[in-house]
Amino acid sequence: MSRPNRPGGPLAALASTALFVLAVAGCGSGGSSTSTIPLKAGESPIGQQLTGKHRGGTLTVYEHEDFEHFDPGEAYGGQDYTVLYAIERPLYSYPPNTANKLVPDVAATAPVISDGGKTLTVTIRPHIYFSPPVNREVNSGDVAYAIERGANPNVANPYFHSYFNDVVGAEKANGGLIAGIETPSRYTIVFHLTKPTAALLYGALSLPLSAPVPPEFAKPLDAHSPTTYGTEYLVATGPYMLKADSRGKFLGIGYQPGKSATLVRNPTWNPHTDYRPAYLDRIDINIGGEPTVIGQQVLKGQNVVQNDSPAQSIVKEAYERYPQQITFTSGSGDYYASLNNAHGPFTNIDLRKAVWAALDREAIAKVRGGPLVAQPMTHFLYPGVAGYEQAGGAAGPKVDYNEHPEGDMAVATKYMKLAGYSSGKYTGGKTLQVVGSTGEPAEGMAQIVNQTLQNLGFKTHLSLVDQSVMYDKYCTVPAQEIDVCPNGGWVRDFADPQTVLYVPFYGPAIEAQGNSNWSQVNDPAINAAMRKAELVVGEPARAEAWAKIDEMLVAQAVAAPEVYVNQANIEGSGVAGVNQLWNSGAWDYDFTSLK
Amino acid sequence: MSANVAAGDPLLRVEDLRVQFPTEDGLVRAVDGIGYELRAGRTLGIVGESGSGKTVSALALMGLHPKHARVAGRIDFDGRELLGLRAEQMRALRGEELAMIFQDPLSSLHPLHRVGWQLVEAIRAHRDVAKAAARERAAELLDLVGIPDPRARLRAYPHELSGGQRQRVMIAMALANEPKLLIADEPTTALDVTVQAQILALLARLQRELGMAMVLVTHDLGVVAEVADEIAVMYAGRIVERGSTEQVLTAPSHPYTWGLLRSIPRLENGAAGHGPASRAPRDSDRGAAGELEPIAGRPPSLIDPPSGCHFHPRCPYALPEHARIDPALAPVPEEPAHLAACLLEPEVRTELWSRLRAGESAEQARAAVGLADLASEPNSVAAGLASETHG
Amino acid sequence: MTRYIVRRLLWGVALLFIVSALTFVLFDLLPSGDPAKLRAGRTATPQAIAHIRHELGLDQPIYTQFFDYMKGVVLHFDLGYSFYSHASVKGLIAERLPATVSLAAGAIVIWLLVGLSVGIVSAVRRRTLLDRTAMGTALVFISAPEYWLGLLALFLFASDIGKLAVFPGAGSYVAFSSEPVKWFTALILPWLVLAASFAAVYARLLRGSLIEVLGEDYIRTARAKGLTERRVVMRHGVRGAITPIVTVLGLDIGTLLGGALLIEVVFNIPGVGRLNYDAINHADFPIVQGTVLLAALFIVVANLLVDISYAFLDPRVRFK
Repeated sequence: MSRPNRPGGPLAALASTALFVLAVAGCGSGGSSTSTIPLKAGESPIGQQLTGKHRGGTLTVYEHEDFEHFDPGEAYGGQDYTVLYAIERPLYSYPPNTANKLVPDVAATAPVISDGGKTLTVTIRPHIYFSPPVNREVNSGDVAYAIERGANPNVANPYFHSYFNDVVGAEKANGGLIAGIETPSRYTIVFHLTKPTAALLYGALSLPLSAPVPPEFAKPLDAHSPTTYGTEYLVATGPYMLKADSRGKFLGIGYQPGKSATLVRNPTWNPHTDYRPAYLDRIDINIGGEPTVIGQQVLKGQNVVQNDSPAQSIVKEAYERYPQQITFTSGSGDYYASLNNAHGPFTNIDLRKAVWAALDREAIAKVRGGPLVAQPMTHFLYPGVAGYEQAGGAAGPKVDYNEHPEGDMAVATKYMKLAGYSSGKYTGGKTLQVVGSTGEPAEGMAQIVNQTLQNLGFKTHLSLVDQSVMYDKYCTVPAQEIDVCPNGGWVRDFADPQTVLYVPFYGPAIEAQGNSNWSQVNDPAINAAMRKAELVVGEPARAEAWAKIDEMLVAQAVAAPEVYVNQANIEGSGVAGVNQLWNSGAWDYDFTSLK
Repeated sequence: MSANVAAGDPLLRVEDLRVQFPTEDGLVRAVDGIGYELRAGRTLGIVGESGSGKTVSALALMGLHPKHARVAGRIDFDGRELLGLRAEQMRALRGEELAMIFQDPLSSLHPLHRVGWQLVEAIRAHRDVAKAAARERAAELLDLVGIPDPRARLRAYPHELSGGQRQRVMIAMALANEPKLLIADEPTTALDVTVQAQILALLARLQRELGMAMVLVTHDLGVVAEVADEIAVMYAGRIVERGSTEQVLTAPSHPYTWGLLRSIPRLENGAAGHGPASRAPRDSDRGAAGELEPIAGRPPSLIDPPSGCHFHPRCPYALPEHARIDPALAPVPEEPAHLAACLLEPEVRTELWSRLRAGESAEQARAAVGLADLASEPNSVAAGLASETHG
Repeated sequence: MTRYIVRRLLWGVALLFIVSALTFVLFDLLPSGDPAKLRAGRTATPQAIAHIRHELGLDQPIYTQFFDYMKGVVLHFDLGYSFYSHASVKGLIAERLPATVSLAAGAIVIWLLVGLSVGIVSAVRRRTLLDRTAMGTALVFISAPEYWLGLLALFLFASDIGKLAVFPGAGSYVAFSSEPVKWFTALILPWLVLAASFAAVYARLLRGSLIEVLGEDYIRTARAKGLTERRVVMRHGVRGAITPIVTVLGLDIGTLLGGALLIEVVFNIPGVGRLNYDAINHADFPIVQGTVLLAALFIVVANLLVDISYAFLDPRVRFK
């Protein structure tokens, strides 16, 4: 249930069987090559210049939203990740310019998968050191502790049970040792799984949870509820660290909540162990402010970038007047209106198709900021995700209700009639419960969906509530029997099509509370196909398999697609900015430099 | 008293003073060409109904008329033409040589400043003296106006004083710099009857001791009777009768003055045990029944005053031609210092007053002198009683 | 008077207690996000959420939570810890308060200087072109939304994004203790914008009040004393007209010290207003409670001070 404009939220509560994503080399497709609008030279981050202009200098960052967590065990979201991947090193990570290619980070090499996919062995690089006050070399026990503490209720890692549950003993873990994680040597860590899902685990080892945490430092802090590791104290393994005192305390020093954060060089970082060039000496992050003001400050400024989404007016101005200072990273997720497949009128597939056909996706794209940042959505795998092209690319599957992104009432009427409403208008008498989110552009999108429903003859009751309320009280609670949630969106956790389709559409994944399958899709054929697809090995084959599932979802019209969104990023004239592509498309501080 | 004024010359000479206010409805001629003289040490009482222009004329002397008023004529004060002075020159005179006290001492004192502060300020506005010295002087002044325990009273706020004490403070403030002319605008109207007499006595005493001239503005003939040497009666912005107190009170020569005299309650004769009171009208001077007889009708509009004699619509003795002819202020025969503006023959006026004085009603008197026969139509006397208010 | 103040203080304490209780109840009733769920992440297990709920004390009945909270406030002046950053609320407020006080104090000085001067000149020169121009301008500033005015000021005068690079722009605020000069220059624009509408209100207020007072008898007396017009207006007129201004000023100061959210957002000043706003957005209840309590405290104290100041402003006022 994440929001593509603040990427990183969703996760795929995945994982039962094996899934081998042996993406080591040359698989860097996906990217943003499929963008439906022509980007000018220099706008597409794919192929962006990764060589820094200058070493040194201070980058100023503006962002109007605050961070949530700096603890690698707790952080879960694009904004936190921008800092996390500069200060912490997971076992594997994605360099810029790829959305799919994992490289060893704290790990020395790609993992060794054995025992039919039930064992995964990682060798750790020597000479990686923790920042002061710990200062010692990282070993396999630090990685084991980092992951084990994810199950500690005081840490409560949000995706632990989604991606690490298959590790032996993980399901019942609560912070103590996990039997399935072994550290036979200083530089070796072995994961034993209950199912052959090592490939999925490999992908998940790119998440911050696998970044080493020194137990002698963090354990006493983890005894607090919630832990003070990452809220008051932190040690770094990456090229940078939050400015801290001699005890490792950063709260009030390198981070003032709601105010600022300061990243400085980590004195113990050894460049020979890392692929990150880390050109910048210092990163000053300024939290808060007015989006249009921040945007102007960045466009007219020198060594400055904005880290969250610029205001729509700024995107337009930047595109027209400062084309060298804006980048668009495609594949920052999608938005679709969920239709209740389990209850009410939309149990009828033809009514769902009618809504799909009638909905003006171009109008929604316009409300979201126009073609630079939003394009009509045509199917569920979005640009940048493996399988997107196989499932039809920008045009999407060839079905009549998908052919006219501007909305086609004739096709809609056809499906209304097929559904048994001979006038072409709904006459069932049921009033639809529609729950959207306040604030633009969400309200505008919800209004368009609501109007479309009314055009089809539905009576609707539209409630616009705060986004967190929309999620917590309505759209993730099946018992509420909400018919339409027009403001849902999705962003993958890491590079695999399964992270886009599994959680939102897998029937058995429906939960009574905190449900992410908002449409409550529970189609036996689709469920079976997913169970099969998650076992498929190899990226092209997986892309093919999940594209097929995408086509099935389209055929079932499980939801009414709205838009794919791009992330717009702006930088000052003195910045040679580099975007990461695998997650939210934000600036990558490890590769960004000053001109 | 002043080097500028030859002995015997008047301290104050007002000539053809006009004060006009432009309004949306037209030009208000509040003071419409008045003149008088006042010597040092003497008191002029200006008497009239509210709206007669008496207060406006007094404020004009001080230069305190509203900013939008147009003032014309001459005010010669101690050898200076006041209307020609620049604002700053006029300010320097106010409180120094000219001083004024007002009707309501409570609203006229600043409610948020201590009495002492206000007195000290009045002194230091014109005298470059130290605060302590000014305070000493302020205490003396309070003592002079008869406030007991003056030093302690300096610390009082106006609301902590009685009405009479407040007016004494006002007087003390006005006298702070020993002015040559004191203008008192209805100084006793807002006070209790018993206190009125005390204040009048105080004013009379101070005037005598300090030798200043005083212009006393009031609607109350009883008050002027007690303190004034001369009286000017104002009606509709003009002086209709002027003369010594004796002349105006015992031999009034204008029907409006008669009306005023017949409308006032019995005077507290002897309240101030000196001269002027003895010249006040007595019970016997009034109608036989001893009843008050208010002047019928209402004061006229000052924007569009009646034609001819402004008083004619209310005058029981008016003749038709009085609506056409505007009378000038002319000496009463054999009394050169006694002036009246009336179109009736002087003998007729003498006759009428003697009849009124003997107790006849206006109708009886009018009939007796044959005016009823001259009138072609009955006099238009406005219905209802004109209620007299002060101001 | 002492008895009066003591009684008012007791009332103030009672009021703060009620405000705290109301905040608790509102937070419980209103459909904001569940703090435990927000903290736990969207896919946390029910056990994890229950654990967090327990650790935060959210599983207790609301009156127990309230009692514990009040106990902390009263006995240890402990306002609790942020659900998110785990920073102490007292510390956060102490860290944010200087910015808010800086913003309010400078703006107050400016709006009093400008507002009162304009009000006096307008009253003395009423119905002149000057008066009409001043009052017309005031009306514009009163009607102009603060947020818009702030953006306009930045786009016109900020050194980074303005047409005329005159003053430091948004986000340039630093603490007075670290760089006093930069503190001052960074606050000039926010001060002016915040002061604009207040100055306009005060100018109109004082003008009206002063025109009324200048018609009073005691002003005529002051003139009759031969005082200079300046003294008549300032010592007599303004002195008599100032009481309503002080009343409003006291309440405005009290309100402003609770945070000037819009200005803080536009100019990116980390004050209490933004702390409160962000906390509401994140359902960070301890911060919300702390900032609300602080704002209420300022208003209660401001009210008391205003009432006490009456005794000094007007000797006719007596407390019972």
